Amino acid sequence: MARSEQDMNRREALTRLAAGAVGVAATPLWVQSLCAQARVEAHAHAAQAALSAPAWTPAVLTPRQNEAVIALTELIIPQTDTPGAKAALVNRFVDRVLSSASTADRGEFIRGLTWLDDRSQTRAGKDVAGASRAELTTLLTPLAAEGAHPPEDAPGVAFFQAIKSMTISGYYTTEIGLRQELGEDGRMVLPAFEGCTHPEHQ
Amino acid sequence: MQVISPPKVYPVIVIGSGASGGMAAWNLTRQGIDVLLLDAGDKFDRSKYWTHVPPWDAQARLARGERPEPFFLDTKEQPYLTPTERKFSLTRVWGHGGKTNVWGRVSLRLSDIDLKAADRDGWETAWPISYTDIAPYYDQVEQLIGVSGGTDDSDVLPGSKFLQPPPAPRCGERLLQKAMGKLNIPVVAGRRANMTRPTRGFPACHYCGNCGNGCDTASFFCSADHLLPFALQTGKLELRSNAVAARILTDENGKAKGVQYFDRRTGAEQQVLGKVVVLGASCVDSTRILLNSKSSTHPNGLGNGSDVVGRYLCEQIRLNARGYLPALEGTPTRNDRGIGGEHIYMPRFNHRPGRSRDYLRGFGAQFWNTWSNWNGPQEGSDRIPGFGASLKQQIKRRHPAWFEIHPFGEALPYAHNRITVDPSRVDRYGVPLLHIDYRTGENERKMTEHMADTIEEIVKAAGGVLVNYRRGDLDANGSAIHEHGTCRMGSDPKRSALTAFNQMHEAKNVFVVDGSAFPTATEKNPTLTILALSWRATDYLAQEIKRGSL
Repeated sequence: MARSEQDMNRREALTRLAAGAVGVAATPLWVQSLCAQARVEAHAHAAQAALSAPAWTPAVLTPRQNEAVIALTELIIPQTDTPGAKAALVNRFVDRVLSSASTADRGEFIRGLTWLDDRSQTRAGKDVAGASRAELTTLLTPLAAEGAHPPEDAPGVAFFQAIKSMTISGYYTTEIGLRQELGEDGRMVLPAFEGCTHPEHQ
Repeated sequence: MQVISPPKVYPVIVIGSGASGGMAAWNLTRQGIDVLLLDAGDKFDRSKYWTHVPPWDAQARLARGERPEPFFLDTKEQPYLTPTERKFSLTRVWGHGGKTNVWGRVSLRLSDIDLKAADRDGWETAWPISYTDIAPYYDQVEQLIGVSGGTDDSDVLPGSKFLQPPPAPRCGERLLQKAMGKLNIPVVAGRRANMTRPTRGFPACHYCGNCGNGCDTASFFCSADHLLPFALQTGKLELRSNAVAARILTDENGKAKGVQYFDRRTGAEQQVLGKVVVLGASCVDSTRILLNSKSSTHPNGLGNGSDVVGRYLCEQIRLNARGYLPALEGTPTRNDRGIGGEHIYMPRFNHRPGRSRDYLRGFGAQFWNTWSNWNGPQEGSDRIPGFGASLKQQIKRRHPAWFEIHPFGEALPYAHNRITVDPSRVDRYGVPLLHIDYRTGENERKMTEHMADTIEEIVKAAGGVLVNYRRGDLDANGSAIHEHGTCRMGSDPKRSALTAFNQMHEAKNVFVVDGSAFPTATEKNPTLTILALSWRATDYLAQEIKRGSL
């Protein structure tokens, strides 16, 4: 029966996960798992937390870790001519995904964040939450680079991949991300569907 | 004094209210036959559908404790078993209308290329019917349910006479179409059960694209909207909800005499009597019911003296390739919702001269997610390198440019691909669980190669770039949700379970009308054919009842 796109994304995320076939070969399973979970949360309306409530406290992250996640998500999708991940409260989405993830995957994420804190301490003398934007950029650039990485960077590379994917799933399912940034018009009742009318595409 | 009245005997008991069972109930009741319809679930509540709820609003609603209708059966409630090393992804919907509440709506007629495949290549048994047997029923079904599509008929896709106008392709679909044209690979307007014209009092599609959440205006075919209410109007239908059918009961002659079911809310066992049983619980669940219906006359499961029931499970194989078209990068985000899902289809072409390869049967392709996604980022967006403002800009530029190609291919029927029941493992009612053992073989591997070549050829011609592509990486078995073959029809009772009219060879008053009756999976989506065959089978059944032969 092949369901609609939204369910297809969810189903695909889950079934490919089950088959151990998500992503590129080098991606650790926990990263695949969290990214799939983020897509499920974003697409399948499975989130349960009061993501936009004024008095929000994280369910999984410590206050300091939450500050770190705010800084990292905003670094990944920053404010430009439209608001960034911080304004879109993507940290709350990340916390939500972690709270519905398996204990093992959640543990991997927190270990990755701790690893990044340690490296930040070593390199800049402060943790992620305390680092400047420039310091964080320096910290993340080698981890985000394409291609091979030194083996000692592996935990950081995997962590960055996970938080990047979660940030994208979270940000582009908010009204800020989908409507303001991408320009989705949100119209759900159309009298007719015109399709492509560009002569150059015919 | 106590008056003992004999228990009611229904002329027909139908199990399942999706495409197959819903059609059976509708077609029998309109011909004046009383039907008891058992469904394992309840009616889904349209007022609770989240059809028009954007993702951010969904999260706010969830925070208030609201939930969308839970269409999919939880494996915690009904587990199923597989060998550890061979997972099978099974999707079940228990509730009025079954999977037609959320189906993909792709509606492709089988042709004699499909129906005569085994006659040509000799692999396993042939369909006992040909296109001319089923064509009049396709005509009726399409007029009843409203299917949109083009006039681009071919030997693969015949019979567009009653189709409603198709929605126009989106930009990415146009570009893929153009590329396929250059390669002489066929591409047609999608044929899908979204009404683009008002039909039988139902409004036309309003192009919100969120069909997978259930349609708030019933503008695509769902048995619970388009069949069951009309059957109830006849006064001939009794619809019993939350009745989880477990076994078909038989008499000393081996004929069906009723159904044992369990109340899903209370767990209480119930039995109802009927002169005829029509099974339409979906391929996998109907098979489970038959195999659990053991008796002294049917020691191997009902109607299974031939040992074919449960065997020859054929699901389709599917590849999913994703990428982007640089020609569309940086163009404005469009409202691409349309009828949700693709507007074009690639029919099978490997039987054409110069196109044949070293494998049997064939594949077609669908093109989901070839659009500006309206529900979030396209998958693959997180594969754009880097972070920061440049990443944000790239995601936006690429948003309208993504495409996907999903070939669906026929998997051959093999005796070892099998559904069994495990008496040592039971569900909450004490009924043995399903065990699904499924794997694909060398023919499917070769077909996968051809699928991958085709994808790569099309992408090259379209100037596209594949992202995170792993050649030959098939979706998990079960992903197509197109199970067939485990109670197949055929002319030889030693090699098939059903006649050409879906009647059990070994129990004349039992009809099985869902996808389990298909001897082959074909590469096409089955629902349209299930509707046509169930209509045809129950026309025959109604005649037999009127003639008194059952």
